[in-house]
Amino acid sequence: MSGIVQQDQTKVQVVASGGCHDCGGRCPYFIHVKNGKALRIEPHEDLKACARGYGYIRRVYAADRLLFPMKRVGERGEGSFERISWDEALDRVATELRKALETFGPSCVLCQGSSGSPGRLNNPAPIYRLFNKLGGCVYRWGSASAEGAYFAAKVTFGTHAAGHTKDDWIHSKLLILWGLNPTENIWGTNTSLHLLRAKEKGVRIVTIDPRLTNTGALLADQWIPILPGTDTAMMLAMAYVIIKNGLEDRGFLDVYTVGFDVFKAYLLGEEDGVEKTPAWAESLTAVPAKTIEELALAYATEKPAALIPSFACGRTAYGEQFHRAGAALAAITGNIGIAGGSPGCCDIPPVGVSPGPNMPSSPSLIPIGENPFEKKGPQEGHPLSFESRSRFKVHNTKLWDSILLGKKGGYPGDIRFFYVVCANPLNQLPNTNKGVKALRSLDFIVVQDQFINATARFADILLPVTTHWERDDYMRPWLGGDYHLFGNQAIAPLGEAKSDFEIAWELAKRVGIADYSERTEREWLEEIVFSSEDSRRDIGDYDAFRTAGMARAKVKRPVIAFEDQIRDPKRFPFPTPSGKIEIFSQALADLGDSRLPPIPKYMEPWEGPRDPLRKRYPLQLITFHFKTRAHSNFDNIEWLKELEPHTIWINPRDATPRGIEEGERVRVFNERGELWISAKVTERIIPGVVAIGQGAWYRPNEKGIDRGGCANILTRDEAGPGGSTPTNTALVEVARCEG
Amino acid sequence: MAWWRSAARSVRRMPRSLKFELRAMQLAFLIDQSRCSGCFTCVVACRQWHSSELEVTAWRRVEAIEEGTFPNVGVTFFSLSCLHCRKPSCLSACPAGAISKRDEDGLVLVNPQRCVGEKQCGLCREACPFHLPQFNPRHDFRMEKCDFCAERLDQGRGPICVEACPMEALDWGPFDVLMKRHGVTGGGKGIPLSKESEPSVLMKGKR
Repeated sequence: MSGIVQQDQTKVQVVASGGCHDCGGRCPYFIHVKNGKALRIEPHEDLKACARGYGYIRRVYAADRLLFPMKRVGERGEGSFERISWDEALDRVATELRKALETFGPSCVLCQGSSGSPGRLNNPAPIYRLFNKLGGCVYRWGSASAEGAYFAAKVTFGTHAAGHTKDDWIHSKLLILWGLNPTENIWGTNTSLHLLRAKEKGVRIVTIDPRLTNTGALLADQWIPILPGTDTAMMLAMAYVIIKNGLEDRGFLDVYTVGFDVFKAYLLGEEDGVEKTPAWAESLTAVPAKTIEELALAYATEKPAALIPSFACGRTAYGEQFHRAGAALAAITGNIGIAGGSPGCCDIPPVGVSPGPNMPSSPSLIPIGENPFEKKGPQEGHPLSFESRSRFKVHNTKLWDSILLGKKGGYPGDIRFFYVVCANPLNQLPNTNKGVKALRSLDFIVVQDQFINATARFADILLPVTTHWERDDYMRPWLGGDYHLFGNQAIAPLGEAKSDFEIAWELAKRVGIADYSERTEREWLEEIVFSSEDSRRDIGDYDAFRTAGMARAKVKRPVIAFEDQIRDPKRFPFPTPSGKIEIFSQALADLGDSRLPPIPKYMEPWEGPRDPLRKRYPLQLITFHFKTRAHSNFDNIEWLKELEPHTIWINPRDATPRGIEEGERVRVFNERGELWISAKVTERIIPGVVAIGQGAWYRPNEKGIDRGGCANILTRDEAGPGGSTPTNTALVEVARCEG
Repeated sequence: MAWWRSAARSVRRMPRSLKFELRAMQLAFLIDQSRCSGCFTCVVACRQWHSSELEVTAWRRVEAIEEGTFPNVGVTFFSLSCLHCRKPSCLSACPAGAISKRDEDGLVLVNPQRCVGEKQCGLCREACPFHLPQFNPRHDFRMEKCDFCAERLDQGRGPICVEACPMEALDWGPFDVLMKRHGVTGGGKGIPLSKESEPSVLMKGKR
């Protein structure tokens, strides 16, 4: 074991560690270890972990941890497995993989990695490196969380690092939290505390959300309930009000933006004959026109004001437009690049940004190399087009279709072999029931995980992975932030679990990739720690960093996106084609896709409040992040699960006519499936909308009805035109559960 | 009393030259409803800290009070554990003498060796105005509850719930000191502070 003083095992040793999963935070804490066993966790003095962090000890030692390699002995999905040796498991995977590649080529292998590990060494990247060295395979694309925001930020600002560090919020006069709920989904360690500081300093806080979240309940001065998927309409109406009152920041627009006049013409109805008035927006959003007008005037006059967009609103049918419209509003009011403002588009501060493993050039990861499969065939196509981006990869929402339909359906390959690492796609991607069909159709499935989750139940071979308490790793703040973490190994691997890197290397040896690694795991880690410019700046001595477990970024705080561009636009153009903030994007105009217009527009969402399908399924469903889970992690941890029941939120105005009472078990269904769940009848949700926390484990009964309450039973496997994953766009019906 | 001086120094906003009446000293919690977001961190931080040898029950709980009708709705959150009452009704109710009140700091502590367990008794829980005593099924259903992290206090650290709270919604200290530090005498939703047992808790309500 490294990173721990080894002298006396019988004394309590304190190990600097931290980070859990893609919970929204990345928090340092200290693990007390005695006789090789982790006893308990001590908080860090100022970066505070949440219930998930303190519950992690139960996850590490959970009775249902996957600790040994297993092979399937029952039917696919039945969950019957038998313990086998690592040799047998790896040989079997290697044999099946070689067979698939030799017979059908790289297009028959699909590799799905996601955000299941917080480490920069151990995550899907080592497996990606292996597959790329093997000749490539089909990967997925699209961030299930934030692709709408990434798309919009890239188009509008040329980068997705378009936010401020949260310590800037005290400089605002008005904070508009658009769908943001950091007290439950964290949104960067200590974000809620910064919000509290802002409130206590007198900053007015408005929350716009279909639910009165814990964040709204505690911190907001005003809750504006809104129908899901209609946020863009409200934003356009706010822009309309600002322009009609002559309050737009003309100086800012002239110097820093392109295309305001085209946007203005659209708002005034010159393009489509529809004026985007507050009354127009009221009819779509259920937000009173007067409320929209008041907020617009406040936002334009109480400067600096920060509009903080949540990724959740982007996870809707045309979610890209929400983030584009937010950016336009921020530009119109001149709230970009200044303390107390916000670019209103994609709230990631330009410090400590940790790019995902699906971005091959990203630093702070083991180099994954290029995917040879993607180099075959023509590469042309528009970089923003969904089709171009799907030429060799599969979008998140299309994973199941790509397996079921293959090349005939226009997908990159006829998938036979599926490798899943740090991911639980059956549970966490839309349309679980279609996923079940897809997984049943495959030749071979390998799942590398810590638990036998919904996806793992369908595996042919299960490979047990260590938790980050059982290995050293380097961690960066969730999406960005001003510190670095080193998670020291606290305990020996449990059972026969191996790290993601070890598994990839072992597998490489068996499939004949002799040059998989020229370094040991420990050497790679040091290499990765110093592989980015900011880590070289902030982390001096490697051993001192490991001992402390943390290093602070050497930056001037708060960090404000586009400060340079606003101060000196000649010297620092925006990284866009025009060098300016693109309210109008020529690149989008050239794309010629009416669903991705060059200016932000409102488009009627499918399965939205005005879809005729509402006759059959009258309620809009949203699937929010739950405070005791990190996606599907922790749902099996009793200590966390018992804190708050997993329920569907429903307003009494919707519950009463259906005869549904508080705590009663209900059926929630649409044409994609059905789940059973308890009802939380509450005034905290807008009528016409129901909400289920995402991440509960899919637990079907013999009829295929999910009793675990996995929200993706109900979500639609349709992508936003820019690649968003619209898990907050679905229509359902709710009924009492008889019997 | 050295433990308590060093503990006091470790606490946020604690004046260094602190004078207090030792004999009247009663440790207390402050619950700030204007800061509690209902995140449950205190519950789990407490439970894992005290479970290093024997898995304990949840000694803290978080309550949410929802009021109003859509769209005019309010929610108040607060965290609750044993309030170390000045006149603990659990102590008077316990037939086995398992509950005691510590002279030096007023902590209400339980001796599990003496407790006969819920199946035989359970009177303490009934007597407690907030039903805070818990019974551990992994320990013959004997009573257990918040001990104010007495062991941590000895080491100069504050209770784990206070130190873990991401919103600084909990604080601790001698009752009088806490009262001065936060400028409150009580008030808040959900806990009737005028109970006969005189709970050692201060509350800040939502503004």
